[in-house]
Parts: sequence; structure tokens; C-alpha cells
Amino acid sequence: MSAAEKMSRRDEMETLLPFYLNGSLEGAELEAVEEWLASDPAAMAALGEAEAEFSGTAAANEAIRPPADALSRFAKALDAEAGPVRASAGQSWLAKVFGRVTAMPAGVAWAAAAALLALVVVQSFEQLGGKGNDFEIAGAEDDLAKLPFALVKFKPDAKMSDIAAFLGQNGLKIAGGPTADGVFHLTIPASTAADYDKLVGLIAAQPFAEAVVQGRKPVDGG
Amino acid sequence: MNAATETDRALVDRVAKGDRAAVRLLFMRHHARIYRFVARQTGSEMMADDIANEVFLELWRQAPGFEGRSEVSTWLLGIARFKALSLLRKKKEDWIDDNDAAQVPDAADTPEVVTMKEDKAAALRRFVNALPEEHRTVIDLAYYHGQSVTEIGEVLNIPVATVKTRMFYARKKLGEALKAAGYDRGWP
Repeated sequence: MSAAEKMSRRDEMETLLPFYLNGSLEGAELEAVEEWLASDPAAMAALGEAEAEFSGTAAANEAIRPPADALSRFAKALDAEAGPVRASAGQSWLAKVFGRVTAMPAGVAWAAAAALLALVVVQSFEQLGGKGNDFEIAGAEDDLAKLPFALVKFKPDAKMSDIAAFLGQNGLKIAGGPTADGVFHLTIPASTAADYDKLVGLIAAQPFAEAVVQGRKPVDGG
Repeated sequence: MNAATETDRALVDRVAKGDRAAVRLLFMRHHARIYRFVARQTGSEMMADDIANEVFLELWRQAPGFEGRSEVSTWLLGIARFKALSLLRKKKEDWIDDNDAAQVPDAADTPEVVTMKEDKAAALRRFVNALPEEHRTVIDLAYYHGQSVTEIGEVLNIPVATVKTRMFYARKKLGEALKAAGYDRGWP
């Protein structure tokens, strides 16, 4: 008889609780844990303890912060491994422009980013798809050339779910990207310069935003 | 389907066809967790940086052969585990022992003194970090990486019964450490 088979019922349930919490338990084991939770007064306290372990383990892991430039270094390593990007991919130019724009003084950067818009709308970006659950991909009906926009680079460890939720909550849409260096083109649903500044400031304040460059901005009264 | 909802497997299919944007999206989704997994395996963020990059290059190389028998996250963790162990075997440097020693609770402090300095949550984080590597890894994989018993067995290349045994002893040790620190949770 193995050590696992020698476990008491309580031991067995305590062993399965982490898997009950992470949602991976199924079948007879799931039923056994649910029955235990419903019938044993000590079980709910045990579940609370396991939840505390869950939180503690997450905190211990998330205290480790991956380097911010991991994605760009990986992209270079990938290019070295895979060879030059095929012409059809054709996305890295925007990353290069983004890099130059972020190095410019703010006023110049704004003008440069606005000028970039005309190129952005005709560039063949990676197609990210149609309408999603949390946010939308801007389509032709949005008349991209007229919409306010910003160029955004997300941190390498950003969670897609966090970004999607944020975009959805604020009516932001992805019009293009990511480029080789992870630059996205976001349309900004603002009708005034103040609204635009507020939304772009909100994006920049998000923990997952690495860099934001202003693009076309609404002209008040215009 | 958009970038947020496209499944990992669909992205791996795209990678298999040479789509670099797809591998970058997978990198964005999984890199932080792989990095943390390796950092906790090796105790070295420098090694974690190198290995995590290697894992995604391996994804690029092996995508055409991925049969989808496991989740992509499990597959990547398995690659990371293999690479970490290989590198550790090669290096066998003193820093590993030094790092392990650094994770052991300070012998100068009694449990009572330590408890005064921190709340239960902080104590728990410290005890998780101080678990032996084979136990901490199972805890990490279940609680942080959301892996099932079977998936942990695949990542670590051990039988399901061994996964359960390690989980049992890991949680038992956490319970005992908490009890010694004044937090009796009634088990073990």
C-alpha cells in the first residue's frame, strides 16, 4: 500500500483541497470533497486555511518581477533563431517609429504620431479578430483615419485578461498591432481634448502599460 | 476571434506555421509565470531569465510537433522544468546552497518572536518559500499555476500518487510551521 493509499479521510481531503480550489478536481474526488465540505464542520475552516495558502503562494510568486525588457530581448533572439522577418509580416517598422517617437520631445512626438496615423490605417497589421467578450477590434466602420488614437506598449508580463477588461470598460479598441516590439494602436473614444487626455492618462497609469505615445487628439470646438 | 480569446492551442498552430506574432502573444501570456517558476526552481533570476527565453525559443522549434495532448501551459512548464534541472546539474554551484540557506527561517528568532514581527499571511509566504524544493514546487504548480494532479505529474515526470504524497507532506509541513508560530489550524 502506498503512502497515498494509507492516508486517512481527513488527510486525503486536505491533500485534494488545493486542487478543489484551483478548479481542476473532477469526478469522484470532486464529489468526495464537496460531500466532506457539506458534512464536516471542520471542513470549511480547512478550506479557509487552504485559501490562505493559495493567497500566500500567489503573493510569494508575484513578488518575483520579470525584467521589463524580456519581450524585446526575446524578439531579438527569435529573429536570430528564425532569420529575417518575411516581407509579408512587415510589422516591425511601426516598432521602429514608436521607438523614435518616444525619444522625441512631447510636442514633436504628438505631431509625429499624428502623421503616423495615415500610415497606420493602411498598414497590414496582424489581424486580432472581430468582436470579443471584453473589448472590440476597431473595424472599417470606425473610419480609423478620423478617430483619436494612441500608440501603447504593454509590459511583457501584462495579463491579456487585465488588458481586455480595461479596454472593454473604457470603450477602447485595438486598431492594430502588436508589432515586433509589442506596440498596439488603440482608438480613443474621446470627443474633447480633455476627455482624450483623461483616457490616455488612465492608460499610462495602468500597471500593465509600459509606454504611451499620444496620437490624433480631438480639437475642441473644431 | 481576437487576441484575448484565441486559445493557446490555436496560437501554437499559428507558431507551427511560422507566425512570429503568435509566439510573441504566447510569450506575453505565459512568460511571467514561466519566469517565476524557474526562478523558484533555481533560486536565480538570472537563470530564470535565460531559461524562460529558451523555453519560448523551444516553443518556436517544437510547435510543429505539438500534439495537444496537454495544455500549452503544462507543456511550457514541463520544458522549463527540464531546462532548469539540466542547467542545475551542469552548474552545481555554491549559490544554490547559499540560496536555500537564505530561505530557512532565521534561527536567531524563536517562532514567537517571528510571529510578533509579521502577520499570518506574511508567515505563510515565508513558510511556503522555506519548503523543500520538491514540496514547494507542487504547492506552486497547484496554487499559482492552476495545474491538476495529472498535469503536475506530467510537468515533474512523477506518478500521480507521488504528486498527492508530496502535496500531503507540503501542506502538513505548512500546518506544522504555522502551529509552531502560534497559528493552530487543527490539522495535521
